[in-house]
Amino acid sequence: MMICRPGRLEAIQKYRRPDRDSGGRPEKIKMKLKTIIAAGLILAVQLGITAARAQTSEVDVNALLQRIQELEQKVKAIELEKKTATSEPTPNTTASVPSADTNSIRELDQKIRVLERNQELATEAAEARAKETPRLSVGNGGFALSSADTNFVLKLRGLVQIDTRTFLDDNSASVGNDGFVVRRARPILEGTVYRDFDFQLTPDFAGSSATLVDAWVNYRYRPELQFRIGKMKGPVGLENLQADTVGSFNERSMVSALVPVRNIGFQLGGDLGGGIASYALGIYNGAGDGRNPANNDFNDAKEYAGRLFLQPFKKSSLAGLQGLGFGVGGSYADVTANVNGLPNTTGGTLPGYTTSGLQQFFAYNPAAGAVMADGVHWRLSPQGYYYYGSFGLLGEYVVSDQGVLNTTSLARANLAQTAWQVSAQWVLTGEAASFTGITPQRAFDPRNGNWGAWQLVARYAQLDIDSDTFGSFANPVTSANSAQGWSVGLNWWLNRNLRVLTSYSRTSFDGGGGPGLTAPAAVTQQPEQVFLTRVQLSF
Amino acid sequence: MKIRMKTILKTTAGLLGGALVVALVLSGSVTAQAKDLKLLNVSYDPTRELYQDFNAAFAKYWKDKTGDTLKIEQSHGGSGKQARAVIDGLEADIVTLALAYDVDAIAEKARLLPVDWQKRLPNNSAPYTSTIVFLVRKGNPKGIKDWDDLVKPNIGIIPANPKTSGAARWTYLAAWGYALKKNGGDEAKAKEFVTKFYKNVPVLDTGARGATTTFVQRGIGDVLVGWENEAILSLAESGKGEFEIVWPSLSILAEPPVTVVDKNAKRRGTEVVAKAYLEYLYTPEGQEIAAKRHYRPRNVAVAEKYAAEFPKLNLFTIDEVFGGWQKAQKAHFADGGSFDQIQQAKR
Repeated sequence: MMICRPGRLEAIQKYRRPDRDSGGRPEKIKMKLKTIIAAGLILAVQLGITAARAQTSEVDVNALLQRIQELEQKVKAIELEKKTATSEPTPNTTASVPSADTNSIRELDQKIRVLERNQELATEAAEARAKETPRLSVGNGGFALSSADTNFVLKLRGLVQIDTRTFLDDNSASVGNDGFVVRRARPILEGTVYRDFDFQLTPDFAGSSATLVDAWVNYRYRPELQFRIGKMKGPVGLENLQADTVGSFNERSMVSALVPVRNIGFQLGGDLGGGIASYALGIYNGAGDGRNPANNDFNDAKEYAGRLFLQPFKKSSLAGLQGLGFGVGGSYADVTANVNGLPNTTGGTLPGYTTSGLQQFFAYNPAAGAVMADGVHWRLSPQGYYYYGSFGLLGEYVVSDQGVLNTTSLARANLAQTAWQVSAQWVLTGEAASFTGITPQRAFDPRNGNWGAWQLVARYAQLDIDSDTFGSFANPVTSANSAQGWSVGLNWWLNRNLRVLTSYSRTSFDGGGGPGLTAPAAVTQQPEQVFLTRVQLSF
Repeated sequence: MKIRMKTILKTTAGLLGGALVVALVLSGSVTAQAKDLKLLNVSYDPTRELYQDFNAAFAKYWKDKTGDTLKIEQSHGGSGKQARAVIDGLEADIVTLALAYDVDAIAEKARLLPVDWQKRLPNNSAPYTSTIVFLVRKGNPKGIKDWDDLVKPNIGIIPANPKTSGAARWTYLAAWGYALKKNGGDEAKAKEFVTKFYKNVPVLDTGARGATTTFVQRGIGDVLVGWENEAILSLAESGKGEFEIVWPSLSILAEPPVTVVDKNAKRRGTEVVAKAYLEYLYTPEGQEIAAKRHYRPRNVAVAEKYAAEFPKLNLFTIDEVFGGWQKAQKAHFADGGSFDQIQQAKR
């Protein structure tokens, strides 16, 4: 055994320095001291029992702490009394403090310290356990359950959009009918398993039947390299990639009529340089312009699509350019006699293109025969946006060049349909505009004078039909060869979850306008003027 | 209107290519410069000061050697808890834990490194050693001189919890080894001795540093039983002669191991620097830092230089007495093992 004795400095622990110079104390103080020490010891034992019985009870813990404090106060009072007695000796009081009393005080002090330390460790252990306990969070981002390490996450989100459409100055032949519309009603289930695998499952109950909007699994190997498979938004259109919850208007512009809404396939993508460049490359079943694909496909022809988008100043110190982004998306497919390769049929009975009021102004409706997609179909979409402060600008051009076949006349052509749009926004209440929406600085709360965020929006869009379309593939009497639409709107973001949109859109047409009571003739007989509103709940 | 796809593609590709170059230049991605590297060293409780010093020295060494800027992050806690954290996904490039069993657990359960990891560096991958000693209060008021004094009535012993702390497991085994030797290898008497030892324990901290806090700062107990390096550090930091160290007649040779966590380092691109980091621990510079932080150096010259701080002791190894960590763990610290039985008896 070896002992290291480091210096001769005095110990600091009071309990280890019993006062051996009491110099006489009143007997009654000695008696009182003994009584209180005895009481203290009893209490200490009780405390131990209490602690042992109810380690996890907050009520008991509080009681325990209170009693410890009481004990400490009593010990201090005894020590003070003892000190006073020592400094003012009275006659005939020469006895020193009995060592048994000193030891008792020391033991009591140790017991209190042990209790306090064990309580401290119990608290630390409880906090550590809390860190390992699965978490439940409820907030404006939805409802989420996650493991303590967040490697497993399940989120329930939702989107409900209730619209009104009011067509102005529409003639009696018009197919535009005023009404309320449940535009979207989507519970969204998304999450993560094993840290790196994300998933999303989104049905939509807004149509006449439930449809599957999104169903994909994404592997996040790194931010720069991610693999996604399933039904998802394709990479081509910028406006189409913007979330349904944050778009400036009820409906996307005519540009988005030329790109697929969703696609099914496999996609490789990621962000480079912290988002300075982002890319996506994929192989998909393919879908016609403005279409959602069927959930199965037995056609050998596949669509290849990709996108490169740059935000070169995102990380720079040039604040005025940080919100500048631009890029290009494109797709290529070689389609064989597929009617589903043609545009969407929303608003009409034949494939075609629609307005802001979702009325079809063009259809592949030749006087004789039917039209199918047949041959090469490629799209190209230069695109960009600019956000600075409360101002935002988004622009996009799309050309959709499609091989078509008239099944009766066997006429073939490659038709280049083109569209472009520019939209602008200004957040009147000063919040920052962005591609991902607005976060109101002050959520709607009229009792406290808070009114949310207000956003002024405007858009111009145009879609031009290839002149070779008319004759063998479309009827120039009923279908327009060009549509030009402008829109203005005022949006109210009450908070992160609630939004009210109002807008007015006017779309005029070149060509078409012939007799008829159905789309597209009835639609192109006069400019479309529509007043749209939306109440949106999203979380 | 007919649009030629090739023309559009060429024009667009040219514009985007130019923009991409501009973007990358602006972001500094393509400028030639030395690398910025990060290392995470997941270690046990009392090595904070050691690795603060060592990391600074190694970062400078690495900068001088390669030009790379190295940021080394440290994580400390009870050795067992730290190993569990790595198994559960904490991306340590390096682990420097209190005992080999915890590294074995990472190799076996998470398969992040080969099971024969201990052969990769000299001295069983333990570049420094330590042992278990007693820290008592000034004047040694309870007259504690050896292990037998600890099991007397009214002695408050402060060790850490063997379930979570490496130091505590070394402490437990040191006490057991002492009792075995004293009783001619009688396991029952050794268990009886260790049972008495833990009956005198009022507080069980999860790590060695916590136990030091309990004893030094909270003023609890009569003797802290734990790392020699921690005891010397407490002595040095108290500065008022509040404590004394008692070296028992027999103790255990503690060999805290170090290793690269291969799969993490590979994924994070730090294999080379992580390996160099550990090798630097064996250099005279690394050994000097270890000695200054009160760990017994392996290097003979450095050990001689610091001989005054580290008395020669009668030490046994875990292999000699317990047959290695795997057997010791199973017999004593696994669920239902002798430590659990002792704790049950205590209640």
